Amino acid sequence: MSGAAIGLLPIEAAQLAELITQFIELLADADTRADPALARLVPDAYRDDPAAAREFRRLTEADLLGRRVADAQAMRESLASVASRATDAGSSRRPVRLELDAAQSGAWMRTLAALRLVLASRLGIDDEDDHDDDPRFGVYDWLGYRLELLVQALDRD
Amino acid sequence: MMSTLPLEHVDERLDEAAEIAGPWQTVVWNDPVNLMSYVTHVFREYFGYSRERAHALMLAVHHDGHAVVAEGAREQMELHAQAMHDYGLWATVRAATS
Repeated sequence: MSGAAIGLLPIEAAQLAELITQFIELLADADTRADPALARLVPDAYRDDPAAAREFRRLTEADLLGRRVADAQAMRESLASVASRATDAGSSRRPVRLELDAAQSGAWMRTLAALRLVLASRLGIDDEDDHDDDPRFGVYDWLGYRLELLVQALDRD
Repeated sequence: MMSTLPLEHVDERLDEAAEIAGPWQTVVWNDPVNLMSYVTHVFREYFGYSRERAHALMLAVHHDGHAVVAEGAREQMELHAQAMHDYGLWATVRAATS
């Protein structure tokens, strides 16, 4: 599992970059207890032992959130290259091919999954068929599609 | 979809895991958000499980609501849980008897 090549429309890259910017802002004023979306990113590691769960959180939560930010920034950097290359090519309607190495692929996967978790929390998705007319469901499904394509590309070898 | 699993593909890591098995477990819980393909990929990539074993574990999480993905020393299980949280999976640590 060394890496993956993906195709991305410039408009998709722009939307992903926007979502990532919001995500990084969300992580920056992290109050993981007050915000259910953030709480989902750092779940209790012990179900029936609150003291152990607290201790685990004390030791690991800041680092975990730091890795989230690093992943999101890495993904934003590779998206920036899409934007510049699309401008160079003079076309915004053709997908730009992006070669992700193993580290970048990991950052993309984890960030796409995290963005879906945050959106699911905001949308109140409690089971797999939970959809209504909120336009954000379109974004949620699209993120799932992008993640699915990336996982397929990584599993190809 | 597991019907054609040949015996020789049974993951050697299962034997390793049995040797170091301790009294603690890392458990991954089902959630309505994470994609089945993604969860399988994470089990392969992080634990090094075979495609078949990772797929079976993913199905166990999906159908039974949770699955034990690793057993061993408590510190190691906590590291696994942290890694699962990095991937956005909902993981906990527990004593094997509970």
